[in-house]
Amino acid sequence: MAENRNQPMSQEALLLDYLQRLDKHRAGRKAVYIHLSGLLPHNRRDHHIRLAANTFETLVKALHGQIFVLSNTDLLFLFKVAVSAEVEAALVKLRFLFGDDPLLADEMAGRQGAFVTWYDVDKNYDDLIQLARKLVAEQERRRAPTNAGKTGPAQRRPGGEPLNPRLLAKLEDALCRADLTNLLRRQSVCVVLPNQLPQPIFSEVFVSISDLRATIAPTLNVAADPWLFQHLTETLDRRVLALLVKNDDRTLSGDISINLNVATLLSPEFLAFDDNISASMRGTVVLELQKTDLYADLGAYMFVRDFTHERGYRLCIDGLNHLTLPFVDRERLGADMVKIVWDADMARNETLVAQLTEAVKRSGPARTILCRCDDARAIEFGQRLGLTLFQGRHIENVLAAERARKAGPLAARRR
Amino acid sequence: MSASPQRPSAQETETQESLLLATAQRVGRVREGRIAVHLHLSRLRPYNRQDGHLRIVLRMLDPLIHYRGQIFLLSNSDIVFICADAQREDIETIIYRVRALYSKDPLTFADSGDGRDRFSTFYDLEVQYHGFLALAARLNDEAQKRQKEARKSPPLDALTPERLGDIVDRLEEVDIARLVRRQAAVSLGEKNAAGAIFQEYFFSMADLQRAIAPGVNVLANRWLFQHLSQALDQYMLRSLQRSDLRVLPPAISVNLNVATLTSPGFKAFEKWIEGRCGLVVEAQVVDIFADLGSYFFTRDRLRAAGHRVLLDGLTPLTMQFLDITMYDADLFKLNWSPDLADPSQTRELKPLLDELGIDRFVLGRCDSETAIQWGLYQGISSFQGRFVDAMSSAVAMGQCPKAAACTLAQCTARHSVIAGPQRGECQNLPLLDSFPKFKMPRRGQGKAGNG
Repeated sequence: MAENRNQPMSQEALLLDYLQRLDKHRAGRKAVYIHLSGLLPHNRRDHHIRLAANTFETLVKALHGQIFVLSNTDLLFLFKVAVSAEVEAALVKLRFLFGDDPLLADEMAGRQGAFVTWYDVDKNYDDLIQLARKLVAEQERRRAPTNAGKTGPAQRRPGGEPLNPRLLAKLEDALCRADLTNLLRRQSVCVVLPNQLPQPIFSEVFVSISDLRATIAPTLNVAADPWLFQHLTETLDRRVLALLVKNDDRTLSGDISINLNVATLLSPEFLAFDDNISASMRGTVVLELQKTDLYADLGAYMFVRDFTHERGYRLCIDGLNHLTLPFVDRERLGADMVKIVWDADMARNETLVAQLTEAVKRSGPARTILCRCDDARAIEFGQRLGLTLFQGRHIENVLAAERARKAGPLAARRR
Repeated sequence: MSASPQRPSAQETETQESLLLATAQRVGRVREGRIAVHLHLSRLRPYNRQDGHLRIVLRMLDPLIHYRGQIFLLSNSDIVFICADAQREDIETIIYRVRALYSKDPLTFADSGDGRDRFSTFYDLEVQYHGFLALAARLNDEAQKRQKEARKSPPLDALTPERLGDIVDRLEEVDIARLVRRQAAVSLGEKNAAGAIFQEYFFSMADLQRAIAPGVNVLANRWLFQHLSQALDQYMLRSLQRSDLRVLPPAISVNLNVATLTSPGFKAFEKWIEGRCGLVVEAQVVDIFADLGSYFFTRDRLRAAGHRVLLDGLTPLTMQFLDITMYDADLFKLNWSPDLADPSQTRELKPLLDELGIDRFVLGRCDSETAIQWGLYQGISSFQGRFVDAMSSAVAMGQCPKAAACTLAQCTARHSVIAGPQRGECQNLPLLDSFPKFKMPRRGQGKAGNG
């Protein structure tokens, strides 16, 4: 290959070379292309990609196959048909690993090939060669601009430049100066009974992280480091609280939930917020705490739990999924509610459904919210688990349609 | 209200304590119907009396305004308040609410032994005025002494993202191997013969702070510290591979982030350790819970390679509120603290220890014989801590022909490092790196239960 000797060959080039050498040995081989690049950015950090590639390690070591880790973060594994069962098993592990990603939901929704694409090396040899050529060309194109200048991580990594301490400092500085009023969003948590319209119970007030990123740091991948991200949310908390105190609109009229860190509940900003809402209203305010934050300092959590309960607030543990819910004993932790993030993957497998049903039963179905319900399937699934509280785009759409229907005749009359 | 959570600065001549003393002197004229209360918050565990906690305690005392309450937040975190025309029950109710916030602190659950309330002291000023005045004077004296001390050592700066950036950059410039410490965990076998099961390698945070971030409290910010620890993982793995240890322990144990376990640096380390000695990976619950999928995945991989996973940093609180069995680790480390020996704590812990498998527990931070005795009484047979270190260096010195030139403290200090001048001073490196077998003292078991 006409490759510069000083530069190591790219995985794409190695793949093409390997395929060409396989020309005479096509029979009895298969390939599987794993579309990791379709995962959400926080699910395809470097360590996830390495984990995924490691799954095939034993097969590679035993010379049953060859793995290629492509620069777009996808994987291609070529193997002998004899080890098909092992490859299937490895893919089951990967599906488990990325179980909370919408990509796998797409696959379940019938979009075959969303997560993996299969090739029979013998029958699809030309397709594979085509694919490898395309990958080489794409990789060269990606590399071209960086040859001219300094290699920018932003160009190499999907999802933007990863957050580091210095960028975090800049971002937080910008955050303190930015006007967040326009970024404040509301989303209703509703009771949804079968065949009935959603009844709003309270609404979550939050700053959309993706909007925030688009506004003040469009090239940054803020989720790249979970710990720095957590620090960012603490800064955000204080800004949001200040905003809520300042806002004299209906925001503070109760029936809301806000996302806060345990550390924030110990801050002067929270006490200022507490000063600004009347005692009778505290009972209608839900404080949502992230699962990781809770575990980071259980002692501090217990302290703020008792304080906020004493003041009349209700607490909700947020950010759970089918994997983490069984680990959280709501009653023992003394929280009032838990929130599970909907994911079509939950409904995929009966064992998972059984586990989740059990975990929901323990948490109390009436105290469990299913959020990010983007479509009706989420509601149906939740109702199967005995849930009544839902949140998400689908609910918002139904509510909006209902409002439009009610406003309809009125609007017509005015004309 | 006269108190605010900002502690009085060293320069101020007027302090909360001096104000308290002046007020105490003034109320001497009208003692009728006045009650003073001293809340001994300084006796709480340090993590329970940070500014945020005190701010909330003050908020809980807001109702005192109805009793013309005057509140003083002292520089040792104690709170004193004086109120007028209040029923004692009303004040008790307010204090009860504060106390409830601290139900998990030994100050409120541990028995004082003499029936006295260690959390609060009441003074009925009509009859106990002189006692209260003496208290105010004593508190003022103590505060002045503290102030003088504080002037000598300025407070540390907080860790900010910017400072963290500098620290991470500076890691490259220092001889990081000198900051590595090691500590063996021993297991007591038959007749209490102790042998090392693994040796833990970790960074001395105090030394690290001194070397690259003097004046900054690197531990003060949980999330930023977590980021730093991830960067440090790679340095640790490299330092171990470059060390010139003469004898390796049965297993090397390292505290690592779950994300590190899939890094190329860890892979290289695994390759290095293969055939040399065993490996124990210590992980923290918060880190595991942040990415459960990755944890289970890597745990299985580590097990398949013959390594062990240890769940680190367990406390009575984590054991009681989290279902630790679900993490299915090979070993668990519970950190010793004298609170464990409180009968109510021991009673709650024992079934949890047994459920997880007492033989899978290592009792960490054993800095006294009491710790070992408590552990043995519960059925724990593996220990780690300064007490164990001192025992093993004493035994090593007994076996070392060059021991005449050294003190026990020197020997213990040299045991704990893997590089640098202290190690260079030892004339018997093979013995320094090996772990001697010795016998643990064992006293009457009946007594040990109470610590």
